Amino acid sequence: MKKHIMIALFVVFFMALAGILAALYLFNLQHKDLLKVKPDFVFTATDLQKAFDEDEAAATAKFVNKIIEVTGIIESVKTGEGNILSVTLKTGSVFSSVICTFPPGTDSSVFVVGKQVVIRGECSGLLMDILLNNCVVV
Amino acid sequence: MKRIVIFFTIFFFFFNVNAQKYMTKNGYIGFYSHTPVEDIKADNNQVASVLDISTGELVFQVLIKSFHFEKALLEEHFNENYMESEKFPKSTFKGKIINLSLVDFTKNGKYDVDVEGDLNIHNVTKKVNVKGSIEIISGGINAFSKFNIVPEDYNINIPGIVRDNIAKNLEVTVTMKYSPVESK
Repeated sequence: MKKHIMIALFVVFFMALAGILAALYLFNLQHKDLLKVKPDFVFTATDLQKAFDEDEAAATAKFVNKIIEVTGIIESVKTGEGNILSVTLKTGSVFSSVICTFPPGTDSSVFVVGKQVVIRGECSGLLMDILLNNCVVV
Repeated sequence: MKRIVIFFTIFFFFFNVNAQKYMTKNGYIGFYSHTPVEDIKADNNQVASVLDISTGELVFQVLIKSFHFEKALLEEHFNENYMESEKFPKSTFKGKIINLSLVDFTKNGKYDVDVEGDLNIHNVTKKVNVKGSIEIISGGINAFSKFNIVPEDYNINIPGIVRDNIAKNLEVTVTMKYSPVESK
């Protein structure tokens, strides 16, 4: 009888421990390294902007929170607060571009205005432009 | 189609007046919560804003999904549970600098200003009045403000179980670097 109780207690203890470790793992999870993950979509900046332009609701449902690999010509490179780099890619529209924001410490020298670049990022949605975050250069 | 009409209107509006409008698309808004349990910080570096120096009109737009938290799980909760960003993807501010005459836009310098307007968060709009500062530099305008927000004011419900992890008052910091919208 006593042995059964001991085993039961041990199992409960072990499950609780597993639960705590899982919770700690999830809690401390950092953002994905997009170089190690396969993109959900591969588009040119022009085609991505066109998709949002033609049907914003559908494009939002399709692309937001997904990893998009976008190819485009660099229109501008800006450094914002906290040394955060924003690279704007040309699209077919003068009003709406694709803006890719990189984590702090990203080397800006790879970004040359007029040059073609392939960037992978998480789509946050459309403001005036399509916004990609947590970006990496592929 | 509607988008094209809206953009064309804004575009035309911009280019009709000379050098009166300043804009940025990589402005910074961050918020900070301090409690004895934990400190939480979120940063948004994709703030779009327009400042009209002739009228003092000031407009901000942010995507809630652009707020970056260090911990991915917290960012997920922020979006899915607190801000419901799928339902309400944006937050906006539409207002103006009310003591505009204090600012000499032709001379480099720093000026304290009062800003008043409608702040929309989580589909709730509230009139706010905040203090900030405007800095005129060669070729641009910098703006800065620090103020507090109470999440409950915007119907943001933080469950009791984590209520102590999040401050009653969130400290919001705004740092913008505007460039003139150039006529082409």
